[in-house]
Amino acid sequence: MSLLELKDVSKVYGDLHALDHANLTVDKGEWIAIMGPSGSGKSTMMNIISCMDRPSSGKVIFDGKDITKESRRKLTEFHRDKIGLVFQQFHLINYLSAVENVMVAQYYHSMPDEKEALEALERVGLKDRARHLPSQLSGGEQQRVCIARALINSPELILADEPTGNLDEANENIVLDIFRQLHKEGTSLVVVTHDPEVGEVAQRIVRLDHGKIVSDKKNDNFSE
Amino acid sequence: MRQWKKLLMIGLTVALGASIATAMLNVMLDVGDKINEELKTYGSNITVLPQSEAVMNKLYDVENGEEKNEYIKESQLGELLTIFWANNITDFAPLTDTEVSFGGKNVKLVGSWFDHHLEFVKKGTTYQRDTGIINLRSWWDIKDGKWLDEQKLDSANYAMIGAELAKEQNIKAGDTITVNSEKGSQTLKVTGIFESGDDEDQCIYTPLGVAQKLTGSDGMFKKAEVSAITSPDDELAVKAAKNPSLLSGDEYDLWYCTAYVSSICFQIQEAIPEASASAVRQIADSEGKILEKTQLLMSLITLMSLIGATLGISNLVTSGVMERSQELALLKAVGATNGQVTGLILTEIIATAIVGAGAGYFMGYAFAQIIGQTVFSSSIEMSGMVAFIVIVLIIAVTLVGSIPAIRMLLRLRPSEVLHGGH
Amino acid sequence: MNKKQRMFIRMVLASLVRRRSRMIVALLAIVVGATILSGLGMIYYDVPRQMSSQFRSYGANIIFTPSGDESISDRELKSGISFISQEELEGYTPYRYENSQIHNIPVTLAGIDFGSVLKTSPYWHINGSMPSGDGETLVGAKMAESLGLSVGDSVSVINSFQMTADTDRTNIPDYEITKDPETGEEYCDHSLDLKVSGILETGGSEEEYIYVTMKDISYLTLTERGYDIVEVSVASMQDTLKSYTEKISSGVSEISAKLVKRVTASESTVLTKLESLVFIVTLVVLALTMICVATTMMAVIAERRKEIGLRKALGALNSSIIMEFMCEGLVLGAVGGILGSVLGYYFADLVSMNVFSSSITFRPLLIPITIIASVLVTGLACLIPIKSAVDVDPALVLKGE
Repeated sequence: MSLLELKDVSKVYGDLHALDHANLTVDKGEWIAIMGPSGSGKSTMMNIISCMDRPSSGKVIFDGKDITKESRRKLTEFHRDKIGLVFQQFHLINYLSAVENVMVAQYYHSMPDEKEALEALERVGLKDRARHLPSQLSGGEQQRVCIARALINSPELILADEPTGNLDEANENIVLDIFRQLHKEGTSLVVVTHDPEVGEVAQRIVRLDHGKIVSDKKNDNFSE
Repeated sequence: MRQWKKLLMIGLTVALGASIATAMLNVMLDVGDKINEELKTYGSNITVLPQSEAVMNKLYDVENGEEKNEYIKESQLGELLTIFWANNITDFAPLTDTEVSFGGKNVKLVGSWFDHHLEFVKKGTTYQRDTGIINLRSWWDIKDGKWLDEQKLDSANYAMIGAELAKEQNIKAGDTITVNSEKGSQTLKVTGIFESGDDEDQCIYTPLGVAQKLTGSDGMFKKAEVSAITSPDDELAVKAAKNPSLLSGDEYDLWYCTAYVSSICFQIQEAIPEASASAVRQIADSEGKILEKTQLLMSLITLMSLIGATLGISNLVTSGVMERSQELALLKAVGATNGQVTGLILTEIIATAIVGAGAGYFMGYAFAQIIGQTVFSSSIEMSGMVAFIVIVLIIAVTLVGSIPAIRMLLRLRPSEVLHGGH
Repeated sequence: MNKKQRMFIRMVLASLVRRRSRMIVALLAIVVGATILSGLGMIYYDVPRQMSSQFRSYGANIIFTPSGDESISDRELKSGISFISQEELEGYTPYRYENSQIHNIPVTLAGIDFGSVLKTSPYWHINGSMPSGDGETLVGAKMAESLGLSVGDSVSVINSFQMTADTDRTNIPDYEITKDPETGEEYCDHSLDLKVSGILETGGSEEEYIYVTMKDISYLTLTERGYDIVEVSVASMQDTLKSYTEKISSGVSEISAKLVKRVTASESTVLTKLESLVFIVTLVVLALTMICVATTMMAVIAERRKEIGLRKALGALNSSIIMEFMCEGLVLGAVGGILGSVLGYYFADLVSMNVFSSSITFRPLLIPITIIASVLVTGLACLIPIKSAVDVDPALVLKGE
């Protein structure tokens, strides 16, 4: 069963076709890497999937529901309930501790619960760093907090935008291990990246160029 | 684009601070003169008497000298317009008083200028002034009728009467009265009844000509009241008041060129040798005191506003620079030296500050004029010094405001900023 | 309190405490604004009172004269004065005038109390010193010139009159009495010997009198009587003074109380100007300062656009973001307002002590006004940038910079 469907989606900024009649289906539990050079429309696609942006034309169907025409407020609620975001820049709130950053996501979603938040940090191996401020954490640790925050509300889909872009190799591997773990647990993952190493570990690889999907195929090297 | 907005914000704050500084400093510097003008409502602060009277009275065994010794020539009074501090003399009027019999009793009659148009020619220069007791008796309440308008009335035979006397004799504006003196009798038409709240309520005021006729002193007057804007007395003034000739040359020049009541008196005596001018202590002293207090009050309010403005500016500059730490760290990461980064920041901030200060100066000018017009109905004089002070102050404040931010920048390790916290 | 509210407070507190340097910047701006508001406010409200007492240097502003032919007795004077509030009363000086002679020249003596006269005539300049009591005199400068008197001289004031059967002879030494051998009429040259303690300079008509104590003047004239005129100095505005004179004139029928218009009318003119000067200065400075506070707050908030974008990306509704940030701003505004009103009071007091040498009147009402004003200004200043930040697409904010 498909979780997300982009039907003939285009996004036009002035003369620029950031996304050009793209069609994409993401099944539940699937791990997809969206790859392509800069300016290929990866970010635009990511924004549209995350409901932070609307397509100029085409339809976005999430969980069987057409969300293209929903109101802004509905979109926000929808996105809050279904999607967890992981950013290249981590985007942690710098005056809140790691656990508090996780709790912020709970706060806007439903009810903050410190115990659950600590559990989420434990999952990414940061239980002992829970009380530290972002400035006291390394880049990799910050990214793991970001991931913990993304999965705290048990979203159906985790969207990661260049999640390893600011990380060294060791940290990159830690993050990818967490993704594997999540995949095993049945969470759907969409990872936007231009890094082949990150792309190569996904179940399916979609390549974009100039706003068009140029290839969409199973990754033969994928190992559970 | 966002950087633009940021600089705009700093510029705006600087402009606001500069306009407070400009407006307050100018008002502060000018408030003395303005309040001084207002204090003129208390009437004259200098009395001019014939010199001969003073000399004569010293020899107490000479009971009454020649009649003319009691007088000063009316034509001499124009000399007041020629002295060094002539512009500080706001009003003056000659007065001649005499006892007349009226309504069966002796009453004091005072002849003076009401709104006299004076033209005085000296060395080919014509000095002009409208002056008289209309301004020197600003506290008079006109109960009935109106002020005697010397310039409009064709003949001099008019009078104004004090409220008590008018009540006693049952006189209204428009009535005609007759007064008698040793030298003759005069019929006068009453233009108005005034209430003064002192013994002048028992007096008759007429144009000077009437009193001259009744005393037989054509072209003369007994006493002049002068209202001048003066500087509060200080040590030098006290020293000079005792005897100006005891001052050293420099002190004398300073004293002579400062608008002390004593130096103005001295200059009046120089201009009219037959007169002796002295300060009316009640007015002159109190003026000094009130001026001093007002100026001190305004200076402290100004100081308070300046502190507020400078704190506001340096505060915003600090936060403005700090906010850019990421961008600046990036510059350091690509190899800019501390000096280059600091230079960049300072150039940007100071350029903004100068533009802001310039705009603020003109805003401040407008505010000062609004204050001047609303409160004193006259414009505030702008001092060139203020522009200078404001510019220096603003640049200093901006620099000081940048210090904490720059110190932070210098300590900054690029990697920290680019990874952490944002 | 549920977990959500606890988290809300936790976030607001964390932002206030952990973003210390930024918060200090914002707080400082608010404190400066609030200090200026409360300080200038207090000064403004106190200026009329403080200046009014400065204006007392012009001397008496009310005079009592007898309403009939009788002089004013001590008792009548006291009951007249009792109408005036003790706090406003600066002082009063009764005068008794008598004609007399020195060296056969007619002079006017004025009986006064040397201890209190400077309260009503603070502008008196005395060369030498103020007489300390009986037997000493203060001579007006014009009089001193006419009589050739200077400080330290002794002078005899003579009261010449014809003795009658009614004359009280107890205080008259025998040598002062001369008998006309032809008519048998007795004449007295009653004299009072005085030491000139000081010469009075005022530039006004006061210089024409010779001042002695009430006791000396009674001795010389051989009569005890009341006062011809009483000068009263009251630190109050014209309207209040006017009501005093009306009350006194109707309350004590022997006294006619009048305003010294020259002093009162001019004072109200000048004070009104001064008051409006301080008012408009306060207004201008305040307006500019408030804009300053607002720009600073705007800068502090604008700096957090990214955070706002992130919160939106985490699914926050605009309304809840606005609420969190406003709450922070309002806490800052309130704290700044409280600090500012206290500092403002100290500042106003400092100004008052320096300028008027008296402490400022504390206006409790200004504290809530200051706090409310700083909360409002801060709130408004926060609202504008927050509104504009929440309207921006989070994707743009998070990506774009």
